[in-house]
Amino acid sequence: MLTAIAIAVDGLGFAAWLFLSSVGLTLIYGVMRILNIAHGGFYALGAYSSAWAIGLYLQTGSTVAFTYLLIPLSAIAVGIIAGLLIERGVLRFMYGRDEVLMVLVTYAIFLILEDVTKIIWGTESLVAYQPAYYLGNIDIAGIPYTVYKFALIGLAIACAAVLWWGLNRTRTGKLLLVVIEDREISSALGINVTLFFTVTFIIGATLGALGGAVTAPQISVVPGIGAEIIVMAFAVIVIGGMGSIGGAIIGALFVGFARAISVHLYPAAELFSIYLVMAAVLAVKPYGLFALSERRKI
Amino acid sequence: MHLSGASKSWGLSKVLLNNMVNIGSNMLLRVLLLCSVVSGVAADNDNTELQASNKPIKIGCLFPLAGPGGLYGRDSVEAIRIAEEDLKRLYPSISQTFEVIIGDTRSKPLRAVQIARDFIESKKVDFLCGVVSSRIALAVTEIAKEKKVFFIGTDHASPRLVTEALHPYYFRVSNDTRQSMQAGAQYIRNNYAKYVGTNNAKNNNKNDKRDDRLKIAYIGPDYDYGYQSWSDLRAFLTQKAVKFDVVGEYWPKLFETNYNIYIHALSDNKPDIVINGQWGQDFINFIKQAKQLQFFDETTVMNFDAGGNYETFADLGDEMPLGLVLSARHHINWPLSAENRSFSERFKKRVGRYPSYAAQGAYSGIVSIAQAVSNAGGVTDKEKLRVSFENLSIKLPEDPDGFTSRMDPKSHQILQAQSIGKTIINKNYPPASVMLGDWFVYYPAKEWPATINP
Repeated sequence: MLTAIAIAVDGLGFAAWLFLSSVGLTLIYGVMRILNIAHGGFYALGAYSSAWAIGLYLQTGSTVAFTYLLIPLSAIAVGIIAGLLIERGVLRFMYGRDEVLMVLVTYAIFLILEDVTKIIWGTESLVAYQPAYYLGNIDIAGIPYTVYKFALIGLAIACAAVLWWGLNRTRTGKLLLVVIEDREISSALGINVTLFFTVTFIIGATLGALGGAVTAPQISVVPGIGAEIIVMAFAVIVIGGMGSIGGAIIGALFVGFARAISVHLYPAAELFSIYLVMAAVLAVKPYGLFALSERRKI
Repeated sequence: MHLSGASKSWGLSKVLLNNMVNIGSNMLLRVLLLCSVVSGVAADNDNTELQASNKPIKIGCLFPLAGPGGLYGRDSVEAIRIAEEDLKRLYPSISQTFEVIIGDTRSKPLRAVQIARDFIESKKVDFLCGVVSSRIALAVTEIAKEKKVFFIGTDHASPRLVTEALHPYYFRVSNDTRQSMQAGAQYIRNNYAKYVGTNNAKNNNKNDKRDDRLKIAYIGPDYDYGYQSWSDLRAFLTQKAVKFDVVGEYWPKLFETNYNIYIHALSDNKPDIVINGQWGQDFINFIKQAKQLQFFDETTVMNFDAGGNYETFADLGDEMPLGLVLSARHHINWPLSAENRSFSERFKKRVGRYPSYAAQGAYSGIVSIAQAVSNAGGVTDKEKLRVSFENLSIKLPEDPDGFTSRMDPKSHQILQAQSIGKTIINKNYPPASVMLGDWFVYYPAKEWPATINP
């Protein structure tokens, strides 16, 4: 029973982190048909900027409470700047090209972003545990969990709800769904597709940075975390169906629980279990659980 | 010293070295330490070659100077400078100069192999030396074997180097993980006496009640080092008749950043002790996250190989929990012998901080080579040199008073005392606020434990 509770909490916590880290990736793919490897770079930039900002702020001796505002602010700042620069400076010249070429281009951008983080913040690890410490722990069946972990689960749910509402209950969201359905018709109807691409890429980049920023208080921020997340994020969106936000939720839950079950019951198979789930899903549904092969969904 | 062929002062070269490391230059960094040991001291007949030749004895050292493990490499270079000073005093009979060339492996095996080949084929080195990572050492030792050039290992610790990969030209001058685990098993036996059975009972007697058996959980990195350490510890515990149950074992990948899920699983296991097989930043991250979850309040964590490295204490400062049982291959505050204090203080004077464990290993490598050369009368007769290494007995900074490190001629593994301590408050070595104390010292057996027989 104790192990089942631990699996449930850890599985949900890991799924929340995965969803926050991968939803931007699936959003960009759904709208722009770009498999954005640079997403790992946004995640790393978000984590570094958040840890750096928290450290800088707390050196002034101020209260920890304000750091909860710093975390999203740093992610938004990084997401807007990096997203805008990359979309306007590089990607807009590539639209309409082969998807494989876009993968190569975004991979190159990812490598550049990796070096950018090293140039700005160095190679030493950054730690900013204070926001996670500040909220304290909660004891569930004798095992202490950080309250911050539950806050992240809440944030992931809120993030999914806002995205759903934004896409389905706002005029802009509905127009975006039209762009996803058919770019050419949308353009013919007078929708500014280019603007939608730019805004979507910035939102996707900001979501990636937010994933890193909110994770920073739980980890040590070190070079290479971007590469780590991009592999997991791809597993999530491939399982759920590329371009589907609902799929990202389900994919995150699949991967999160596969890992939690494995760590608690058979640790040696931890990494294997994630890819086993992915292989099993793709064997049955080659385009993922929520993607149709002939239509794009978001 | 020479830097890329140009003669520079050490002060300048330090600046250049740091700059090159910082900008991640692709250039091979060469540091030539010239020991102008022109001595008038008469030597015995065996030292005829040493007296007659002016050809320098070349040592090619391989260390990472940037990236993961870069701190260890940079500390090793500083320690080599200290060794250079000591060679003049310790081995005045060697009239030849020692020329130490350093290559930056950047912790990459292929690059290390290329540097090693270049050292041997172009630079004509007499010895290869150093290497922090066992993975890289396993690659370099193959080159040494192929080219019949002595490779003196200083920091890496995999037993594979002195078992299946062993060849006549490889020797290691620091304790390996197996020796650490042997000492650790003895520590557990001594401190958990109620779980020790008779030699006949061993630990597989399933008739024992669960409470009569020590509950152990393990967390270690998901690669050879982690698995080998854990396997060795379990074998030594069995050999020492400790009755134990493994209640959990976890394998986070190397350089994992989030240990929360593993800490929850370990808490769920409710072990008496947790054996941790991590090192460096991984161990630091584990401690920070486990402390946040009050993990150290409920269990005793032990790390017998690298957990007690000074750089861990320096990094964590007053965040370092008390009561952890740790060890390392070199401690700044043990032994408190004149040699060890001198080594640590000289290093601090040069660099402005205390050394990481790797520094003493590099120092040991250079002085061991000098002693072996001195005893063999030169470097020409490789057979004589090999015998000299096999019979090496040398006083090193980490040796406690009354003990001298000695080479095991069978395994080519040096045998050294291993000390295990508990973390206690000690502000004498800033920036660390907590250091090891309450020492348990394990002196090595006559031979390195090539096999572990229950």
